[in-house]
Amino acid sequence: MKIKILACLSIFCFLALSTSGCVSSKPQGYSGVISHGGILYLGSTDGKIMAVDPLARNQGLSFPSSNGEWSFAITMPSKSILSCGSSSKPVSIYGTPVVVDGSVCIGVYGGKVLMLNPSARSQNLSFPHMRSGEWIYPRTDDVIGPIVGSPVAVNDTIYVCSSDGKVYALDITYGDEKWKSDPLDDKLWTTPVAKGEAIYVSTFDGYIYALSAKDGSLLPWVFEAETGFVSSPVLYEDTVFVGSFDSKLYAIKIGDDKLLWEFLGGNWFWAAPVVNDGIVYAGCLDGKVYALDAEKGKELWEFDAGGRIVSSPILVDDSLVVATEPGNVFVVNLKTGSGEGIKNPDDPQSGEPLIDARIQSSLSELDSIVYIRAQDNCLYAVDVAKREIKLKFPLA
Amino acid sequence: MADLWSLIILDPMLNGLLALSGVLPREVQFGFAIIILTVVVRLLSTPLVLRQLKSTKAMQEMQPKLQELQKKYAKNKQKLQQEMMKVYKEAGVNPIGCMWPMLVQFPIWIALYQSIMKALATTPENLLDLSRHLYSWEIVNQTIPVNSHFLWLDLGQPDNTLILAILVGGTMWLQQKMTTAPSIDPRQQSTSRMMLLMMPLMFGMFTIMFPSGLPLFWLASNVIGIVTQYFVTGGWGYLKSPSSAHPALRRGR
Repeated sequence: MKIKILACLSIFCFLALSTSGCVSSKPQGYSGVISHGGILYLGSTDGKIMAVDPLARNQGLSFPSSNGEWSFAITMPSKSILSCGSSSKPVSIYGTPVVVDGSVCIGVYGGKVLMLNPSARSQNLSFPHMRSGEWIYPRTDDVIGPIVGSPVAVNDTIYVCSSDGKVYALDITYGDEKWKSDPLDDKLWTTPVAKGEAIYVSTFDGYIYALSAKDGSLLPWVFEAETGFVSSPVLYEDTVFVGSFDSKLYAIKIGDDKLLWEFLGGNWFWAAPVVNDGIVYAGCLDGKVYALDAEKGKELWEFDAGGRIVSSPILVDDSLVVATEPGNVFVVNLKTGSGEGIKNPDDPQSGEPLIDARIQSSLSELDSIVYIRAQDNCLYAVDVAKREIKLKFPLA
Repeated sequence: MADLWSLIILDPMLNGLLALSGVLPREVQFGFAIIILTVVVRLLSTPLVLRQLKSTKAMQEMQPKLQELQKKYAKNKQKLQQEMMKVYKEAGVNPIGCMWPMLVQFPIWIALYQSIMKALATTPENLLDLSRHLYSWEIVNQTIPVNSHFLWLDLGQPDNTLILAILVGGTMWLQQKMTTAPSIDPRQQSTSRMMLLMMPLMFGMFTIMFPSGLPLFWLASNVIGIVTQYFVTGGWGYLKSPSSAHPALRRGR
């Protein structure tokens, strides 16, 4: 009787708390796709780094084929106080991998940075296979703060931001720590940008810091805004473009204390903007893409995609491809801002989204095909010219 | 339905919490905002709480009478029900009535729970979701993301020091002990004893599992509950002298 009452009470309390959204949801991750040498590299929602060959997928070969495909599951020890014994769980991956000299580097939410060698992964050798140039940072069981942004490779160094508020510089060959910065904020969820001898980082509390690429020390120029920065910074001709929590896109000239310009959207500019030929293309959570003059901030056109834009748009030939969070994909004319939605092939008249899952990760292009990893853990290939989905590949 | 819930209850509370954080010193902003909002919600629901306390007290006072009836009509359930209803009617108490104030408060507490967790935005997905719920108030935009540090706690992470778990469990036990009347029925006595121990233990365990912003709210709520109880019932209630606290129970013996 007592046990029954207790069990009911416990279940009720736990359910009440869980279903009411009191317990934060498990981080799922939204790793983007990158193409290199005809192979696509991406992270899956179940904690795997995968190399996918589009040709092999189109031919319907079993995965992984011998065309350079592989899959590597990254797990971390489960640290829950209440768990008994040792267990491990898959990591969440938010960043987009970066390819350096043929090897694939990624930072994971579990607080590790990994360098993977495609050859070693294809052969399923134990990780890290040092002779193949693989490494993991930190090497011990220690972890740094969760990593949300993507790593950046410049010369012989990998730069990565962590949720412990620090920027880490790691040796590309061995994964040794070259330096780590002082904490710049409570957490850094963005991707840094590098130019010359400086690394630029935007923070949630509204600063843009310039760090020395050599030793991580703060350079004299710091920009302070009234509100925090939500997006990763983008650098174009000495100007930093970054979205803030007050629904504005800021343009800041490096070295200046004042804003070059600011542009007010209808919600946050979560996705990093794309800059090309003096025009900034910025996707906003208000569902619009804005084309702005990079020098003056003047609005050239706007395109209403009708759904929140979480992923950065991508330039494909003379068009801008935009994916909305609800799953629609649009091809927008760069000059006029007029756009065309790619229809759902199952029912073109219904207005149903092209992809029946949320799109939050960055897009990639290879041979005029746009690759999208959606939150249903599938990789989609969208043929921009033919306006159709060419491939759907489940990653699980 | 979810949109309506957000529009009417969740979003105003969430934006209120963030605006409140915005006017407090950044070092302690969110921790204090949770405590202040808990106090405000408690104050607003005081009439309901008082009604609930009154009903519960009246129910406790008529326990000896009801037990007598149970003994008397042990074999005639229908008659027992009739007689019990008569007693309730005479005392002007609705047996289910004491549940209503609690049920009315429930959505408010859930919204407060949700507001705290949404504002903390512990994962990138949470932060992205937060943008759906914000008003375009300048003070709200300037507060995001909230400073999750408060005293020794990171409100977005579980407290590994166990201090908060002990405080939550301890205050919950104290509050329950103050309000739980000792029963004459040995079976009920054992159940009450178990509940008195298990609920604090359970919430202590939840404290270790959940981001500490939530247990901070439980702690604040418990402390306010203890203070209210102290002043409403005039003292430490059943904590000090369980056997002599209720004249009705003494009569029952």
